Amino acid sequence: MSCVRTTSLLLVVLALAACGSDKRAGPAPSPDLLPFEGLEGTLDIAGGTAHIPVMEEAAKRIMTAFPRIRITVGGGGSGIGIQKVGEGLIDIGNAGRPVKAKEQAKFELTSYPFAIDGVAVVVHPSNSVRELTTQQARDAFAGKITNWKDLGGADAEIHLYGRDEASGTRAVFWKKLLAKGAVATSANVVKSNGAMKTAISKDEHGLGYMSIGRIDDTLAAVGLDGVAATQETATDGTYVVTRRLFMNTRGKPSELAQAFIDYIGSPEGRAIVAAQGYIPLATP
Amino acid sequence: MSPTSGRTRGERTAELLLAGAAAVSAAAVLGILVFLAILAAPAWQGAAHVFTWDWRPFHGHYGILPMVVGSLLLALTALLLALPVAIGIAAFAHGLGPRRLARIVLAAVHAMTGIPTIVYAFVSAMLLVPFVREVFVHGSGYSLLSAALVLSVLILPTIVLVVHAHWHSMGKELERTCAALGIPRGRAVLRVLLPLSRRGLLTAAVLGFARALGDTMIALLLSGNAAQVPGSALDGFRTLTAHIALVVATDTQDAAYASIFAAGLILLLVAAAASLTARRLGAGNGRTEAARAAPR
Amino acid sequence: MRRLGDRVGMAWAWGSSLCLLLGLGTLLVVLVTRGAPAVGPGLLFGDTAPGDAVLGRAPVFDGIWPALMGTLALVALACLVAVPIGVASGIYLAEIAPRRRRALLDIGVDMLAGVPSVVMGLFGFGLILLMRRTLAPSATTGLWLSALCIALLVLPYLIRTTQTALDALPESLRLVGPGLGFTRWQNLRHVLLPAAGRGILGGVMLAVGRAAEDTAVIMLTGAVWNAGLPAGLGEKFEALSFRIYVLAAEYRDDMQLAQGFACAFALLLLTCGLLASAHLLQRSLERRWKA
Repeated sequence: MSCVRTTSLLLVVLALAACGSDKRAGPAPSPDLLPFEGLEGTLDIAGGTAHIPVMEEAAKRIMTAFPRIRITVGGGGSGIGIQKVGEGLIDIGNAGRPVKAKEQAKFELTSYPFAIDGVAVVVHPSNSVRELTTQQARDAFAGKITNWKDLGGADAEIHLYGRDEASGTRAVFWKKLLAKGAVATSANVVKSNGAMKTAISKDEHGLGYMSIGRIDDTLAAVGLDGVAATQETATDGTYVVTRRLFMNTRGKPSELAQAFIDYIGSPEGRAIVAAQGYIPLATP
Repeated sequence: MSPTSGRTRGERTAELLLAGAAAVSAAAVLGILVFLAILAAPAWQGAAHVFTWDWRPFHGHYGILPMVVGSLLLALTALLLALPVAIGIAAFAHGLGPRRLARIVLAAVHAMTGIPTIVYAFVSAMLLVPFVREVFVHGSGYSLLSAALVLSVLILPTIVLVVHAHWHSMGKELERTCAALGIPRGRAVLRVLLPLSRRGLLTAAVLGFARALGDTMIALLLSGNAAQVPGSALDGFRTLTAHIALVVATDTQDAAYASIFAAGLILLLVAAAASLTARRLGAGNGRTEAARAAPR
Repeated sequence: MRRLGDRVGMAWAWGSSLCLLLGLGTLLVVLVTRGAPAVGPGLLFGDTAPGDAVLGRAPVFDGIWPALMGTLALVALACLVAVPIGVASGIYLAEIAPRRRRALLDIGVDMLAGVPSVVMGLFGFGLILLMRRTLAPSATTGLWLSALCIALLVLPYLIRTTQTALDALPESLRLVGPGLGFTRWQNLRHVLLPAAGRGILGGVMLAVGRAAEDTAVIMLTGAVWNAGLPAGLGEKFEALSFRIYVLAAEYRDDMQLAQGFACAFALLLLTCGLLASAHLLQRSLERRWKA
């Protein structure tokens, strides 16, 4: 008997909760979200892993205000972003590097840069090495220097971490810091900026590189040639290993994709970009 | 119409449908094989590039031989670790242990076949890798040692169940003979059953090897994925399966891209060879066991 | 000397077995204790109200509800494809196929069972690229593709268990039908299949468990980190196994780490539960015909 009562009570509560949502609890959507009014359908986003927190937060706000819109966010790396959007498998392909001429010739993509981001050498917070010269960094990643004591640290083996082939972070780091030089094949390969952060924050002797926007206090950025690796130095041009973050569409974007791109460039979108650690660009 | 030869049209249709379903199943294998061969074609044309020892795609080197070695090395190490333990467990379940405990052990082994490989991979990435890094001076913990240890656990039930099924099929007669000769049960397992079961052990080993070779998630999360031939058990390396998962993201026209289809084809051929070998060795004894134990 | 050998063998067997039990116990304890902090109302639905989340009125972030639903949708779809084909193939192989054809098909099934799951995923991914260049320029990876590839992956399990269930029937039962004047087909339909039903159902359970745990296939064919509830055949989706994989590499805080353990435990319960029911069904079948 009491079982039946509990069940019916539960049902009533569920029904009430469901009814409540019709009025969309919470404040009215901000003006920057208004262009999504009346739109519906799915927007598939994938690619650059530095972008993911920004995309997720934007998707969360849009979908909460307009439940008929469905936004999926995948990772994979810049290479996958460009390839998949070029093949038409997704609507927006993110990349942490510009589209290469070869890719452009094949896919005819439109790029929307929306943020500036640096790529920094990172170590475990307990590591005393916080400063390297460009040459030291090159030698370490090439596997010529294998002990932290040769970089001014403790006597311990360097555990190298690098990124996968699809990574835009890797492409930028390799071009701008390593000058397209050798990279040790003994380096562990991780698949995203998030994975690099997790790996280095757990490995006391780890050495890797990642998007400055995603660095927090679980790991430490290493300065290069006397310049600290921060978004400020990246913006004013003193830190050189920088890139822009792009969204890419094939040809003209769909209405929903266009609205999303506009939203990332709106004041609210730029606030999200800034809150996730990147320097928003004026208009995407 | 006599009941033996007479078939209504409905029955004939039903029979055709059943045959059709079987044909679909068989066609699937051929389809996959041919399909991968076609997609890997660019790799065969550039075989001189793909079958080399150097994977540095940014410098134009697309060799997957280190991954071939990595896959084989990992699968063999895992097998070597798992085989003795599996035989021990099978012997325990088959007479060396007290009956009730043996039953529990066997149930546990059956339950293990249901543990998802991603669960092993996740727990080990969180706990085993840091442990290996702390204990040994060399290496980051992402290593042949970590991956092989976990993979050996994954393939353990495969081997135990196949060995168990084999012993089971060798029959009561042998057991009765031993009992009649006054050989205690435990001793019979060690001195009679074990020496007589080379074939069963070999089948179990082949199936376990195939299962190890085909696994992706453990290698992907624990091997470090460095494209090199490991110099020691503490070095990172990359398997063919992990290579596919990592590189599938790149440019579709690239030689790197063709290399993953070549990797897929190699895996498929080795797996096919393994299942044919197991069949010839007489895996028919433990058919369900073998199906359950198939590589993933 | 012989005695010593016996003793070593005995010790080895005991050691191996106890290690196994100990290891499994540790795994369970680790999953439960490390996952416990994540267990709570937020585990399933994140910040979203449960009512809204269940009815799909509001998207869920940070909860495993969409992933759980994604896995269930994937499994259901895959079985929809695989069960009819698999069971039919099994019946054909066990009861109808002529000897030589049976041997040939058996090899095919063995080889299908041997296809590594990442290769199956690669097959699906290649299939899409090919379709886009030829028949269907707008085809894309998504739930349907993952379900199809998973269906191929579990097909051998279904075929084998159906076959085994039929093979296991006692000869006396096979003679019942003809004795009553049944045709071979009538005998199959009214006597043999009902008798083997539990074993076949066990095979289905086994296939479901296997479909739920796979990661490598869906990783290449349409699973993504963040997609909400499964919304259609052509849509990207979330899945438990894929969520565990992503969390393993890049959990952002302790809560997400705990969620990874909780997720792993949930998946383990799901697959082991299915396996146990499969086992019980098959055992009850065996007992029935052996008695």
